[in-house]
Amino acid sequence: MSYVTLPYPFKPVEAPPEYRGKPVVDPSKCIGCGACANACPPDAIRMEIDEAKGVKRLILDVSRCIRCARCEEVCPMGAVKLSREFELATPRKEDLVTVIELKLFRCRVCGKPTEFTVRQVEKAKSLARYLPKERFEEILESMTLCRDCRRSRYVSKLVEIEIRGYVGSMGGLHA
Amino acid sequence: MRRKPRMRSVWVFHLNTGACNGCDIEILDVLTPYYDAERLGIKLVGSPRHADALLVTGPLTRQTYYAAKAVYEAMPPTPRIVIAVGTCACSGGIFYDSYAVHGGIDKLLPVDMYVPGCPPRPEEIIYGLAQLLGLVEKKVRGETYRDEEHEFRPEAPIVDRLWYDLRQVLTRIVGYFDRETVLNEFVSLVKEAYRRSNPRQALRSLVEEYCAKEEDPRIALAMRLLLNEFETLVDRYRDEGYPVEDLLKGLE
Ligand code: SF4
Ligand code: SF4
Ligand code: SF4
Repeated sequence: MSYVTLPYPFKPVEAPPEYRGKPVVDPSKCIGCGACANACPPDAIRMEIDEAKGVKRLILDVSRCIRCARCEEVCPMGAVKLSREFELATPRKEDLVTVIELKLFRCRVCGKPTEFTVRQVEKAKSLARYLPKERFEEILESMTLCRDCRRSRYVSKLVEIEIRGYVGSMGGLHA
Repeated sequence: MRRKPRMRSVWVFHLNTGACNGCDIEILDVLTPYYDAERLGIKLVGSPRHADALLVTGPLTRQTYYAAKAVYEAMPPTPRIVIAVGTCACSGGIFYDSYAVHGGIDKLLPVDMYVPGCPPRPEEIIYGLAQLLGLVEKKVRGETYRDEEHEFRPEAPIVDRLWYDLRQVLTRIVGYFDRETVLNEFVSLVKEAYRRSNPRQALRSLVEEYCAKEEDPRIALAMRLLLNEFETLVDRYRDEGYPVEDLLKGLE
């Protein structure tokens, strides 16, 4: 005797290999760059900066995910993958939320949290041998400052340039 | 969650609150002989007055808000189960920030079962229904991970970047599904070639050999394109000062 009907849910079934199910973020790979949050069309992935606690949170809400795999596409670390997990039905929406908490790097001048995570800075440091030295130091220097310190550094640089120009023009006048 | 009596059979009314029809078609699938929801006692009825449960799809548009309310009120006072089928019904999904939608049926009605997916496969819907009937247990739960609990290794980034770029090229030719397989084949050829003395030449001949054996012309084409793109990228990285060829030699 043969049956047409699938015995599911009494016998488990597997989704086909090309099936795009629940996105899963690997907490040992994610650096918190926010590329996925940027690309996610329905904003199922959000990034949240909590300055009081000094952490950045990636919040993935599967109840809003349309399984387009754009997050998988853009992730520079290959940290997010769409699994074949499909048995997601739940009476509570909180069950569908994954949070990844990453510590923020603290400003090397004032100690306030920057908008980069410790892992982002580590990742940038690991790039040292691939980048020309001056370029690398420039990047690292601005990465390790908080927004206020970075701003004041740029302002003082600008002022310096202005003054140099002004003095130069004065010199020109006297000549 | 409100406790609902466990039931042997649930009569459902299908309510579309502005779905794109994707989820509705999956609900139809659930009723076909292949999935046969009626063997679980689930029966589709034509009027909310006969229904124990609502199968709601769609992001609850402003147009359907009052109709949905009327349908809910027309149901018998118990058990009034609401099942949100699809990402739209769960949270608004792709339409969540539109001016024209309320963003999920839970903005109007208390929901007993969320079945996310865009659209969910018929198995997912059956899984949700089976949970209501007490046949299966819930599997998912919310997770919070902290970075100190997981060791982090910043990996060899330029080589990874190279594969990502090649993957983009492949997507355009062989699509999303086959690209990983084809790319893995290519990566193994690259590794093989960079173990030899003249890697460039070796890779070219390896790809030629591969293409001669390959029966699917699309894969052969993809391989040749990959080779082309690979050489361009390696040249570009080298000109920018990245020691990419040394890194490739170091791959196991
Ligand atoms: S793109 Fe990848 S690394 Fe960046 S925040 Fe998202 S998951 Fe993490
Ligand atoms: S699959 Fe698409 S909708 Fe889902 S989290 Fe990734 S980018 Fe967002
Ligand atoms: S969840 Fe996706 S398939 Fe279902 S109605 Fe919304 S957009 Fe359509």
